[in-house]
Amino acid sequence: MGNVQLSHVSKRYGNVQVITDLSLEVEDGSFTALLGPSGCGKSTLLRMIAGLEEITAGQCFIDGAEVTDTAPAKRGVAMVFQSYALYPHLTVRQNIAFSLSIAGAKKELQNARVAEVSRMLQLDQLLDRRPAQLSGGQRQRVAIGRALVRDPQVFLFDEPLSNLDAMLRVQMRLELAKLHQDVRTTMIYVTHDQVEAMTLADKIVVLDKGRISQQGTPLELYNRPANKFVAAFIGSPAMNFLKAHVAGKQGNDVSLTLPGDRTATIASRGGNLSESEIEIGVRPEHLRLGQPGNGAAFDGEVRIVEQLGNSTLVYVDTPAGQLIVEGEGNLQVEPDEKVGVVLDAQHAHLFGSDAQVI
Amino acid sequence: MTTITETTSQQPLVERRPRREDRSEWWAALVFTLPFVIIYAVLFIYPTLQMIWLSLQNAPLIGPGTFNGISNYVRLFHDRLFSVAFWNTAYFVLLSVIPSTLLGLFIALGVNRLKGFTQSIVLACFFLPYILPVSVVYRIWLFMLDQQFGVLQPIIAIFAGTHMNVFRTLSLFMPAVAFVTVWWLTGFNVLLFIAGLRNISPDIYESAALDGASRWQQFTRITWPLIWPVTVLVLTIQLILQFKIFDQVYLFGDGGRSDATMGMVQLIYRNAFQKNMGGYAASAAVVLFAIIVVFSVLQYQLLKVRGEK
Amino acid sequence: MTAATDTAPIAATMSPRQYRTIKALDIGGLIATIVTVLGGICWAFPLYWGVITTLKPEEDVVKPGFQPWPEHFTLDAYTHVIFGTRIGQWYVNSLVTAISVTIIVVIISALAGYSISQLKFPGRRLLWWMILASFMIPVPALIVNHFVLMSQFHLINTWLGVILPQLVYGPVTVIIYKQFFDSVPKEFREAAKIDGANEFQLFFRLYLPMNWGITTALAIITFIGAWNQFLWPFLVATEEPMFNVTVGITQVTDAFCVKYARDLGSAMLAGLPVAIVYLIFQRRVTQAIMLTAGIKG
Repeated sequence: MGNVQLSHVSKRYGNVQVITDLSLEVEDGSFTALLGPSGCGKSTLLRMIAGLEEITAGQCFIDGAEVTDTAPAKRGVAMVFQSYALYPHLTVRQNIAFSLSIAGAKKELQNARVAEVSRMLQLDQLLDRRPAQLSGGQRQRVAIGRALVRDPQVFLFDEPLSNLDAMLRVQMRLELAKLHQDVRTTMIYVTHDQVEAMTLADKIVVLDKGRISQQGTPLELYNRPANKFVAAFIGSPAMNFLKAHVAGKQGNDVSLTLPGDRTATIASRGGNLSESEIEIGVRPEHLRLGQPGNGAAFDGEVRIVEQLGNSTLVYVDTPAGQLIVEGEGNLQVEPDEKVGVVLDAQHAHLFGSDAQVI
Repeated sequence: MTTITETTSQQPLVERRPRREDRSEWWAALVFTLPFVIIYAVLFIYPTLQMIWLSLQNAPLIGPGTFNGISNYVRLFHDRLFSVAFWNTAYFVLLSVIPSTLLGLFIALGVNRLKGFTQSIVLACFFLPYILPVSVVYRIWLFMLDQQFGVLQPIIAIFAGTHMNVFRTLSLFMPAVAFVTVWWLTGFNVLLFIAGLRNISPDIYESAALDGASRWQQFTRITWPLIWPVTVLVLTIQLILQFKIFDQVYLFGDGGRSDATMGMVQLIYRNAFQKNMGGYAASAAVVLFAIIVVFSVLQYQLLKVRGEK
Repeated sequence: MTAATDTAPIAATMSPRQYRTIKALDIGGLIATIVTVLGGICWAFPLYWGVITTLKPEEDVVKPGFQPWPEHFTLDAYTHVIFGTRIGQWYVNSLVTAISVTIIVVIISALAGYSISQLKFPGRRLLWWMILASFMIPVPALIVNHFVLMSQFHLINTWLGVILPQLVYGPVTVIIYKQFFDSVPKEFREAAKIDGANEFQLFFRLYLPMNWGITTALAIITFIGAWNQFLWPFLVATEEPMFNVTVGITQVTDAFCVKYARDLGSAMLAGLPVAIVYLIFQRRVTQAIMLTAGIKG
């Protein structure tokens, strides 16, 4: 069906290596997000799958057939661009039907398909308008409609929500999720927004400078990051990192001396522990405010308090640096208060100097 | 097509040949550009090369000739008519380019202040002459300056004492033709200056007014320097344009009856078509070409320097 | 420009109300506006004079005295011109040649501009440099060789002979088209390619329609330029039936005496089409002029 396979794919522009020896398999019918910061190569990868960029080395397969050299139109893919690329001089109907009319389909067929797609996307009332007369969300739906009508094997999305305002983005996210449930086609979705990836994707592929940093389900990446990059990128607010000194090791449990000279015992995942200075990563929701003293991992002073309503973010200056602690929405705490920060050792991660998890 | 890469990650990059579909662009490009290239080659490149070749020959307009080297050019520089034509052209350029540029700027300043419908009408008044063919302009002004019945003659009489046949009076001929040309073409300059003026943000003027600058100061210190690139552009465009003058001079000069009022293009025309000296005419054309190239390059450099400033 | 109305120091010495009134009156600005409008009227006067002269009977034209408004209206001048000269034939010649030049130049320039802008092919850069360089070459310098060329093809005194050398005004149009096609965001091309469009479909269904305004502007200005051509049609049309109207009105004068109204009448008829085109399409014309000048700069 619509599974995509990239085999040892590399991309080079002149002397600049953008993607290096990347292999990836996207299951048929899945919603896979390509996530990463700007410049990590995610859009390039998507365009290579689409056929808009040449693959310098390696191969690409769609549905088992090699498409490395095939023209974009013949790959069975459809793409929704960041700026939608709606033809300004055509109506919504003509925009959606464009690929059909290029292929020379009969008028009845075109109209039937357009009607089908526009019903699904609630565009029936807008068919005779021009893109300039549409709102951002409507334009995006037309772009999706244009892709849908081709009945592709793979849907490609290039940061489609980044041009919308925050509220609209949430709404469109839901519509995309619903769309995927309805059509069940393979979707590959490029974004730099980890919230979009987390909420929409079955599988997230995190890219860092042209290589895959980690791939897995959203919860896998959240709860068991394989390296510091993924740990820091996923989750908001971001994970706290602090240096620690290895005091001893027993099995997988590592005894650590924390800045401020308290201790903690954290379980590693069984990796090779060879250094004495490593880093601890712990998410704000796995830190708790308590009384200063030996019951807490750190003694600190509250710097800033951010009330979000459903949670409170407290920025605490500690010997380990500034730590972000996430508490309940009704947490009462003032700046300059002296507090203790309690560490949930069960949910902490250990990272070596190579930034990989231990 | 491509070599199958092995599954080790230590594989060096294997470059692939350009895709078959890239070549399809070549076909389309060929079909798209062929008409233009053919016309361009036949009607532009070939005549240009032929012109240069012809200028080195002693040949009539149509027909073969004997190779002559640069003797045509030598002859040209000694030809009294050539220097007459050259200086006439230079004189004409001076008389028409500077006034039409300055006038264009001042008219633009005035028109730019107007708004809406008034502006459209006034702009059309200045610009409409530019749209007209040279022969229409010729007829209108021939009549207006007609010695017996021209409506402007009474005004001339005030200055000169009597009605004058402007175009038959040698010393008045070029100035008169320049005057008509200025009327004809200044509209073009007005348009360019208006575009340039619109690019100057009104905030600058407001800030200057707050600083106490008078109108004149605003002009000399803000408008003039900021509009300078457009001024240079207009000057050089007009310069190049007017150096190729033929139509009006020929028409007002009654078909070039008098040698004294000849311009350079007319020299080419006369040698080619009236004296049937094709090679000689071509050499004059090449010289004209060289002069204009010099001005074009000068224009390009001037603007580039300005742009970098 | 006008005398300085330096309001700043004066303002210090008058009451706010007086200051505001003077500012509102804006004497300097008023003078500037009046001068400009008067200037426009004077500038347009020759056109006005030409038109009303053609509406006067010949005897009135040669009467002494200044008649700003005709005493007697007549269309004699025009009827004489229309029925007494071959202006009809000249009109046809002008229309045929101008329209042909316009259509051909616009089409081949759009195609060439599109290729240079969007397609990759060997020689692309060379072609582009040649087009840019061709600005340096003044077309009037080529008249001799154009004439020779046309006579070799036996095209002297034919429509084709008039049309062909005028096509070399193409380079400007190509450059403008290329710039406009360049400014179309790349994503449109990519989206259409994914939709399966080939180059021809891309050109005719996307790039050209999206730039329709510029095509109109260029077509209009090319038409005006071609209609107004004097030198070349003058050279290549040696017999009266082949004159275009711009040339024709200068070549025919009455045998016995000068007929001012008629001469002017024929001139008015010659200039009328382009004047009408301008007045209707004012904005497009000014847009096109500014574009072509931008190129030369």
